[in-house]
Amino acid sequence: MLMCRELAGIASDYIDGELTTGRNLSVKMHLMMCRPCRSFIGNLRTSTELMRRHTASHVEAAVIDRINQRISEALGARPERKD
Amino acid sequence: MIQQTDLDERRLVEALKRGDSSAYAQAVSQFSPGMLAVARYYLDTGSAEDIVQDCWVTVIDAIQKFEGRSGLKTWLHRIVANRCKNRLRSTHREIPTDFSERLDPELASRFDASGRWATPPKLRFDASAEALLENEALSNCLDKHLAHLPETQRSALILYEAHQHRSDDVCNILDVSASNLRVMLHRARQKIFLMVETFQETGQC
Repeated sequence: MLMCRELAGIASDYIDGELTTGRNLSVKMHLMMCRPCRSFIGNLRTSTELMRRHTASHVEAAVIDRINQRISEALGARPERKD
Repeated sequence: MIQQTDLDERRLVEALKRGDSSAYAQAVSQFSPGMLAVARYYLDTGSAEDIVQDCWVTVIDAIQKFEGRSGLKTWLHRIVANRCKNRLRSTHREIPTDFSERLDPELASRFDASGRWATPPKLRFDASAEALLENEALSNCLDKHLAHLPETQRSALILYEAHQHRSDDVCNILDVSASNLRVMLHRARQKIFLMVETFQETGQC
């Protein structure tokens, strides 16, 4: 039977649907009986979503400015294509 | 059926091929964060920015040959990865990675010898991610902890979560096996879980 420690080790694979059918079933059965693991999976899921939203909105303005400057110089050195 | 995003990307590619400077500004802003995440996986911060700048200059010519077999984002990320790998080969530097243990040591210490929780999660996060992010202090704390993640874990996380690459694309770009990618993602997520838990319990970052 799957223990809590083992479940914690494969929790991301479970959240992302990367487990085999058998393994997925044993996680589901464990979760039915174990409240701490249900909390852990729920919290890990929220943390993952938190990170997804946070990193998606993170823009490094200073670096972007420097890249745009390089591109402007490079584009300025060649004629614009009309085709 | 052609999706709107595909149509937008085709228009963007055509504008880039014409050398349209506003299209470059849009593309730089949209794709550079992911390109930097790739480069920082392989190189130090300064070299990573140099490589990304160089790649964009290369793109001005290379875009003429872009046929759209992969998405523009994947194409750009692969260009950066290939350049970084070439740079690494020339300097013989190894990427430090630890795939030996799936559990973060702090989390691992919360189980007893039989594998049950000795210190279980104390509470269930009671708000959605969207609601949690409205808390500026938590948002700043996330920034701090993301900055302290090992570059390998942060890059995997940014490409997989923020840029929504498929696993096999991330493996290809970062030159890592599927099982090792799973370990990197899980280790990063556990760190953020532990951080949010501490913040929720104590208000401390």
